[in-house]
Amino acid sequence: MTADRTEIAVTTVPPASGPMVDRRFSFPVHVYLLVVRSLRTLSRTPEALLPPVAISIFFLVIYQSTLGKAAGSIPGIGGSYLGFILPLSIVSASLSGSGIASQNLVRDIERGYFDKLLLTPVRRAALLLAPILAGAIILGVQAAIVVSAGLLLGLRPATGFAGLLAVIGLGVLLGIGFSGFTVSAALGSGSAAATQGASFLFFPLTFLAPTFVPLSLLSGWLKLAARLNPITYVLEAMRALLNTGWDTQAIAKSVLACLALAVAMYTLAALALRFRTRRT
Amino acid sequence: MSDREIIVENLVKSYPGKVTAVDGISFRVDEGTIFGFLGPNGAGKSTTIKILTTLALPTSGRVSVGGFDVVSQATEVRRVAGVALQEVGIDPLMKPMELLVLQARLFGASKAEATARAKSLLELLQLSDAVDRRVGTYSGGMRRRLDVAMALVHQPKVLFLDEPTTGLDPVSRRDLWREVRRLNRELGITILLTTQYLEEADELADTVAIIVAGKIATEGSPAKLKAAMGEESINLVFDSAEMADKGRSVLERMGDRIQLDRDTVRLYLSDAAGSIPTVVSQLQQEGLAPISLTLTQPTLDDVFLQVTGQRFVTSEATKVKPSRSRQRVEGN
Repeated sequence: MTADRTEIAVTTVPPASGPMVDRRFSFPVHVYLLVVRSLRTLSRTPEALLPPVAISIFFLVIYQSTLGKAAGSIPGIGGSYLGFILPLSIVSASLSGSGIASQNLVRDIERGYFDKLLLTPVRRAALLLAPILAGAIILGVQAAIVVSAGLLLGLRPATGFAGLLAVIGLGVLLGIGFSGFTVSAALGSGSAAATQGASFLFFPLTFLAPTFVPLSLLSGWLKLAARLNPITYVLEAMRALLNTGWDTQAIAKSVLACLALAVAMYTLAALALRFRTRRT
Repeated sequence: MSDREIIVENLVKSYPGKVTAVDGISFRVDEGTIFGFLGPNGAGKSTTIKILTTLALPTSGRVSVGGFDVVSQATEVRRVAGVALQEVGIDPLMKPMELLVLQARLFGASKAEATARAKSLLELLQLSDAVDRRVGTYSGGMRRRLDVAMALVHQPKVLFLDEPTTGLDPVSRRDLWREVRRLNRELGITILLTTQYLEEADELADTVAIIVAGKIATEGSPAKLKAAMGEESINLVFDSAEMADKGRSVLERMGDRIQLDRDTVRLYLSDAAGSIPTVVSQLQQEGLAPISLTLTQPTLDDVFLQVTGQRFVTSEATKVKPSRSRQRVEGN
């Protein structure tokens, strides 16, 4: 406590111009401000963002080097094994990345910053939408990194650059849907541990799908489970894009599957938001 | 009605299956004053703050903040009220400017306005030296000051501070008190603060309400509450219990009430300080010299302990917890 600090304190008074101009900011501006803020804080914890990508690339390399040569004997791959297995890496990156939005949110809840935001005139939906959008942007970057790794390993996409963008887009769309679930867990529990647990619930879903072989080779309950799993449609559409070409039907199915997932998860998230922000 | 007033009428908050946290309290905080809400843990202070700041709904009763109803006009209340909750609500990964600018912009300020405002608040709360550091590296006192700065970002007319100095060291506490007083005097902000520290309420508040088990036990200015507690006392300690007993018989008729506890005599009277010479000369006439003479004035502590029922009954000869505002006087 030096003398000059005290002096500052005595001489400065904030502008006495009365209350701030009440420009009722529109919803999109609030969302934009909060997305920028989320991205800024996320960029300060790279240790949370890099491992999922690294693990996805690791498995991509492992699959490619252990199964790549034997894959010639699996019917229905329809092109290169790399084009077949890369979608799995993107999907698993999407799944682990779907936790980003919820981690961001649960951190704010635990730190009391969420309450601070609740005390502003911001609409409650913006508090949900902003971390999801920030998470989606990160997901896109992560998917792009995984795709680049595929290209380095020798991937020749059947649909070119546009196809790669479509693959990344599908990965993001799937991740956004799953984010709805982890965000619900964050809002409902307010606990980082519970939110983390919720992200692991999806892990088995990756394998209730045509993960390592085409859907036609699955049978019985596994085939039924795979048919109900949105991941199946995303994998098939991505594989088509990388190995065979623009399969409009497969893409439409996968987009619909992602949308259905998102609608279900965001209904849940909206309820969880209401629960969290309810004034009891 | 003023736009800087807080009016609480018959506020009740009960949770199903649990005790009633707030049990029909009413009070009014006048424009430009500091109101101290005092009470032990779990008395209902934080619940009341949550309702007044729109984070919780009342079960019944009416609350208006700055002329707006907290139930039906919550958004308007949020615009006129600044709130620093008990738990500091800041993101440790962010820097102070980022937090303040974002907060200001969420309240509708332009980028330039928000930046100017953030700078002046950092100066006001003496954080200008630490602008480049992430908030996570801040000390408890700095976090608290930043939290208060965030509560001030939209130039609120009413400020709520929920236990603003809990967990702070004495120096940071005094710093914050100075800020609070300044905000009130220079900016005319009406302030409602809750505290567990009597000293804090005594120091800052124009009016104090003591809340116990969801009800307001007593309310008034600190001076009035202390005056209502009764008189001052002269405390005399003697060499031995017998001497003390002699002393008691000498002084018995001087005060309103006298009390003996082993070697200590406690004489209650209205003008204690002015009576010291008489007391000393009376004792000297009998050849008695106390080894110490102290003067005790009632403190808010006494008021608090009395209304919360945690104080010894003073009519018996029991050792009374010494009060802090004790002045040592040379005795003999």
